[in-house]
Amino acid sequence: MTGRVIVITSGKGGVGKTTTSANIGTALAKEGYKVVLIDTDLGLRNLDLLLGLENRIVYTIVDVIEERCKLKQALVKDKKNPNLQLLAAAQTRDKSAVSAEQLKEICDTLKEQNDFVLVDCPAGIEQGFQNAVAGASEAIVVTTPEMSAIRDADRIIGLLGPKEEITSVKLLLNRVRPSLIKTNEMMSVDDVAEILEIPLVGIIPEDTGIITSTNKGDPIVNSEDALAGKAYRNVAQRILGEEVPFLDLDEPKGFVEKIKNVFAKLKAKV
Amino acid sequence: MSIFTDIYNTVAKFFRQSDEPVIGEASKAVAANRLKLVLMQDRTNLTPKVLEQMRGEMIDLLSKYLEMDKDMLELNFEQEGDQVALMLSIPVIRAKDEDEIEAATQSTDDLTEEDCSEDDDLEQNEDENVEENEIEQAVKPKKRRSKKITPPEDFEGCNEEIITEPNELDCSSSSNEDQNVVCESTEA
Repeated sequence: MTGRVIVITSGKGGVGKTTTSANIGTALAKEGYKVVLIDTDLGLRNLDLLLGLENRIVYTIVDVIEERCKLKQALVKDKKNPNLQLLAAAQTRDKSAVSAEQLKEICDTLKEQNDFVLVDCPAGIEQGFQNAVAGASEAIVVTTPEMSAIRDADRIIGLLGPKEEITSVKLLLNRVRPSLIKTNEMMSVDDVAEILEIPLVGIIPEDTGIITSTNKGDPIVNSEDALAGKAYRNVAQRILGEEVPFLDLDEPKGFVEKIKNVFAKLKAKV
Repeated sequence: MSIFTDIYNTVAKFFRQSDEPVIGEASKAVAANRLKLVLMQDRTNLTPKVLEQMRGEMIDLLSKYLEMDKDMLELNFEQEGDQVALMLSIPVIRAKDEDEIEAATQSTDDLTEEDCSEDDDLEQNEDENVEENEIEQAVKPKKRRSKKITPPEDFEGCNEEIITEPNELDCSSSSNEDQNVVCESTEA
């Protein structure tokens, strides 16, 4: 078996790389695929927290590289889904503890035994980024509809372009707020996709549920009702090659809202 | 009376669209435009140093024909529809007369070999009494994406290659009678 190695990257910090990794990984595992999540953010690890696995980590990726344990020993199984495993980052080391070749080797080994290897990339464009990208053949660039995040995403796309091993670069637009887009105060999905010129793999609405799911260490894809959870499940479907339409993010309209719209349209005609 | 206006206002407020844009309406458009410009600069690896060098060389070339206010010279990227244009704006004090041009051309010819095709264009403008000459050159938005993302067979090469493609670029600089030298890219 040769699995797919997908790096989740963004350039800018805080746009939701780790949340995205945790959710896509969980969603793919729920579909029955064997998934390994690798946290490459050495020194600033968080993927374990989002998955609720922080108390189960014995060995980290650095232990594997420095041969204090076998790769298999360092993989932590998810509480709910044994198809999902985590290779945690070392919290006490920095990015220089790992080289790009070493990470590639780990990815190559893991993809033999799994359907998906998702690499959670650190922010920035330095060694941490180069390491994370080394073993990947696909990339998902996470951004939000804010100028700084888009600019950094563009930089990342520019850096991924010349890498021959990476055959697909897709965009995941996170923390979209339809109410702001409606009032023309936030760039729309189309605006961002047009500027960055890469195909979209997902649109995730801003959802307060993300905060509570992080608090509980339970990715939002596990809650059936949450809109963001649904959006992430759709991303997983698209990664699997399904054609899934993007969610209509307009807030559900009540009766009063509908009447208001009718009047607004009348007003516009006059 | 006031009771009626109050009621009217309350009713009107109810039927007004709640999220009607009031202020900051265009802030997304501003963001999109600023981003397009800054990304244009990010993508063309034109460092400030290179831009400064370009500016210097343009001043050298143009000062052969024109006396201008060098301090007021502006070289900027600007968004024009779907294209990004390189705008050069120079306040012209006066056009030089033929003898001066002759002298200047000869002195620089000794130093460097210049391509004279552009000079012809500029000589036509020499007699025109204009306060400001604006030379625009549309720069092809540099497609630096890899082949994998947008498979563009025709973007493989550099700009010179694109110029030879008649479909890609309509270069009208040679026939242009007015003072604007415009190379327009038809590609969006």
